Amino acid sequence: MNKPQIDTAKEPTASQRTLVLTPLQDLSGFLAHHIGRATLFAVACSSVVAVLLIFLFVIKEALPFLQTHSIGDLFSSSAWYPEADEPKFGILALLTGSVYVTVAAIMIAVPIGITVAVFLSDITSMRVRNYIKPVIEILAAIPSVAYGFFAVLVLAPWMQNSWSFSTGTNALNAAIVLSIMALPTIISVAEDAISAVGRDLREASYGLGATRFETIFKVVLPAANSGIVAAVILGVMRAIGETMVVWMASGNANQIPSPWWDLSQSVRTMTATIAGEMGETPKDTNHYHSLFFVGVTLLVMTFMLNLVSEYFLASAKKKTGK
Amino acid sequence: MKFSFRYIQDKIFTGFATGAAGLLVVVLLLVLTPMVYRGTKAVVFQGTIEYRKMQLDVFGRGDIEVIATEKAKAQQVRDKLYAMIEGFKKGLDVDVLSGRAKNIYRNYGKEIRDKELASEEFRRRRELSRKIRNELMTAFSLSDKEQIKAHLDNVLGYKDNTDFEGTSAKDFFALAEEFSEIVENIDLKRRKEYANSLGEIEGAVLKLLGPLPGDAVPALVQDRYGCTRMDMAKVQIDRVLYSQRWVSQANNDSLVKVKISRVQQFAGTEMARLFDFVENNADAMLMPKSTFYWQYFIDDSTAGHYFGGVGHEIIGTLLLTIVAMLFAFPLGVISAAYLVECASDGPVTRIVRMCINSLAGVPSVVFGLFGLAFFVLYLLPLMGALSKGCVLTASLTLGVLTLPVMIRASEEAIRAVPKTYKEASLGLGATGLRTFVKVTLPAAMPGILTGVILSISRVAGETAPVLFTGAVALGPLPKSLFDPARTLSYGSYDIAVGDRLAMQVPHNQYGMVVTLVLLIIVLNTAAIFLRAKIFKKLKGL
Amino acid sequence: MKKTNRIAYVLVATIMLMASVSVFAEELRIDGSTTVGPIGDAFAEAFKNNYKGLDITVKKTGSGDGAAALIDGRCDVAMMSRFMKDKEFKAAVEKGIMPVAHVVAMDGVCVVVHPSNPVKALTAKQIRDIYTGKITNWKQLGGADMDVVIISRDTSSGTFETFHKLVMKKEEMCSATEYVSSNPQAHARVKTTTGAIGYVGIGFLDSAVRALEIDSIIPTKQSIASGRYPIARPLFLFTNGYPKPGTMVFKFCTFYLTETGQEIIEAKGFIPVTNY
Repeated sequence: MNKPQIDTAKEPTASQRTLVLTPLQDLSGFLAHHIGRATLFAVACSSVVAVLLIFLFVIKEALPFLQTHSIGDLFSSSAWYPEADEPKFGILALLTGSVYVTVAAIMIAVPIGITVAVFLSDITSMRVRNYIKPVIEILAAIPSVAYGFFAVLVLAPWMQNSWSFSTGTNALNAAIVLSIMALPTIISVAEDAISAVGRDLREASYGLGATRFETIFKVVLPAANSGIVAAVILGVMRAIGETMVVWMASGNANQIPSPWWDLSQSVRTMTATIAGEMGETPKDTNHYHSLFFVGVTLLVMTFMLNLVSEYFLASAKKKTGK
Repeated sequence: MKFSFRYIQDKIFTGFATGAAGLLVVVLLLVLTPMVYRGTKAVVFQGTIEYRKMQLDVFGRGDIEVIATEKAKAQQVRDKLYAMIEGFKKGLDVDVLSGRAKNIYRNYGKEIRDKELASEEFRRRRELSRKIRNELMTAFSLSDKEQIKAHLDNVLGYKDNTDFEGTSAKDFFALAEEFSEIVENIDLKRRKEYANSLGEIEGAVLKLLGPLPGDAVPALVQDRYGCTRMDMAKVQIDRVLYSQRWVSQANNDSLVKVKISRVQQFAGTEMARLFDFVENNADAMLMPKSTFYWQYFIDDSTAGHYFGGVGHEIIGTLLLTIVAMLFAFPLGVISAAYLVECASDGPVTRIVRMCINSLAGVPSVVFGLFGLAFFVLYLLPLMGALSKGCVLTASLTLGVLTLPVMIRASEEAIRAVPKTYKEASLGLGATGLRTFVKVTLPAAMPGILTGVILSISRVAGETAPVLFTGAVALGPLPKSLFDPARTLSYGSYDIAVGDRLAMQVPHNQYGMVVTLVLLIIVLNTAAIFLRAKIFKKLKGL
Repeated sequence: MKKTNRIAYVLVATIMLMASVSVFAEELRIDGSTTVGPIGDAFAEAFKNNYKGLDITVKKTGSGDGAAALIDGRCDVAMMSRFMKDKEFKAAVEKGIMPVAHVVAMDGVCVVVHPSNPVKALTAKQIRDIYTGKITNWKQLGGADMDVVIISRDTSSGTFETFHKLVMKKEEMCSATEYVSSNPQAHARVKTTTGAIGYVGIGFLDSAVRALEIDSIIPTKQSIASGRYPIARPLFLFTNGYPKPGTMVFKFCTFYLTETGQEIIEAKGFIPVTNY
């Protein structure tokens, strides 16, 4: 490093002071840069730490339960009698309950969600879009406890009176409300994916004489398929993790509906079980640890789903070249 | 031909898509309208004099003298109602009548003891008075007019007995005469039916008008007042006017609810006047006034949220939100800064990103479990504090929960800052850090604030994570971060399922949840406007 | 930007201040059963009026959590709708906590149906058959042709335990049973569902639901207090050792003996254990 010759008798000019660095300044700059980066990095890792801590502590509380019960037994039985004299901890019905309401919700939400996404990106004007967008955002923001009120107050009596269901709080009720809650997620992710399909593809299609319907179904949606799959998965995650609504609306009967397609029966989900029973359960009992085990199951499921959605989002990015 | 089919297909699809978008708006309205409609009743309603009295006593609001005059005026009308019930009841209640007879017997016994009569004479008089008493009591308990008459005549036969001259035994005969008058007017065979119905009426009147002025003040606040709102009063008035029975009908397996007018039940008695009186004088007894109870949003509530508002819940929610944001805001912005400014597209960054996304996908109830296991059961004892849910643990849990929202919004905002800003700054010789702090961050601030607002709305609305980490249904305002707090979200849940009292005040149930929803909608609308403004500004560049 | 900074400082300062004000006032923490909760709430309210400066919190998280809270020292008084289990007792003693029970009131569990249901009386056996899934239609009991919708409290609640022990004889409920997490919820479900059967504490009875006669005994305050009605149980407050006379805990745990206390218990729909 060449030390610049500066006449010490003369005051260095302002430009000299900032442009030319003494070794110390250089070193401190170097250090500041790297220490700064390191600090930033450390803070940025807070999410990593948080995820690790979540896994660590939820699993830690679930472990004592696994010492006395084998995982195979848990998933093969649907008898959940945690407080009986001979407690039974079969979570099969809880798992299927979660799957039931989630799948039903997604089957309602996906067609509507993707249609709305197409509507926003390809059909409507900017002005209408600007009105619809806030509606979606507010739908996303309404707290789940409020949706629960809606399910119990409006939907349940309506189902009992107009559809002559024997019980208004059932799988279908929960699924409908969950679909409303999953819609915003599905719409926004799907719309991003659909908008990311370039104008060139669309124009080529229109240029060949295709109608808008054909363009959308034969060109745009196939091109955006990875993004749409990701949207569906994120919707699933939203639905499967929801607690308050299913707790209030699903009826909480620990059963696998029979016949299997009968959504008018009530079911019970994993989330509702945790929220409903945790408060009443003595600490450090098998029941307590079993609820943490249900939590671990949920956590692992959502984590896997997340990985899959990441894969699809990444491949969507690659496809559209962004 | 082919073209027209395609054309129609296209049009149908367009219509379908527009319908789907319209459906969203309909759903939003469907979700919000019934709730807001019912919730508004917590704030806007017809408040009665009882409401104003309650506000004066519990919250020290209102003009004492005005309310006292109003109350006195209402009391005049109420007194007439009470007098009607009393008048009718006097002749009906066997226990009351028998009690009076026993009292007279007791008093008379005392009098003759004081006279220091010969023991035989004393015994004779005493026997006689006991006989009269028993005759009276038998008369009271019978329901056949003729039999009663016979017993009363027996009693009245002693009226001119000189023994009783100038003693309280005279009261026996007054009572007998009074009762014979009642027997003339009321069909005593229906006494039991009357008594039942009267019990229901009295219960409804007690709920409607509150305890009598002379009675002891009930221990619980909610029992100290009559109906504070006209909508509740109408229910009680209905109970006064009609009795409800579930009866079977020939063509139906289930029972059907019928309302039986009590006017017919009491036809021919003095009570019949009461029902018209209640119907016509409801306003005079309760003095309803249109009330706008804006203090709902600042008032504390009595047990079970029977009276009062959601002030403490709002404060608790804000406190939780602020502490959570103090935690999530710096972490979120710095993480975002790192991701935008420093991170390369290496495996480390990918892991960080993956974790952020995973965090966003963790179910909220699992955050609750985590908060319980880590903050409450592990961290608090480590800090030497008592291991119980408190503001700090709930806030930290919520802070972790909202971290991904904060990071994503900040990242987007920082990315949206035009490159030219940064380049100009770097070109002038500023360091990276300085450029970021002095140029990029201020320019990104509105976007970051939008993220903050969205995070706040998420934090304020979450229930499941605070269930086990620091929310309570009843309690004082937290004095420190180590106290639990009441929140709107948990409160909404608790009031829906918690106390029997809350079942009687649906307006407060919905009031709480609507307060929460409105708070969140206001926050989100603010975020939407803020973002639109930024969008315009960036477009103008 | 300056303004935002200042606001931030003020906020930080406020929070620090709030954190630093420690609790010197007397504190009373009550935790536990949702059934006893209303009594706890009302007692707390009465105490708040009587003793200014007393800091009283009531948490209603369930009997199990109440016991756990007492064992962990997270509360001073645990409200419980059942007696402490052996396991809980052992855990308490191991931690040096000596649980002492105070019976505050009696609670009857009433089996309720929708008021439109013509069925007015059942035997305990019939109820057991409904809950185990042997009877699925009201027709089988002489009612209308509609499916029975079975409502139960969640399995950790004290109300469930009472019902489970006294009516179900510890038999498992069938899988179609819908679980709700509180008495008002059970009440609301029965009120709005014509085919429903459920059970609630006697305090939750009103004209919107109908209580069934069980083994031809109508649940009333008298029949419960006298012990004739088959589904009744005592409600407890648990403290660590017998509270020292004069302390707030003592006053709280003996409040049920006062006239006001009993008035409150009656107003909340329970049955006082002593008559004033």
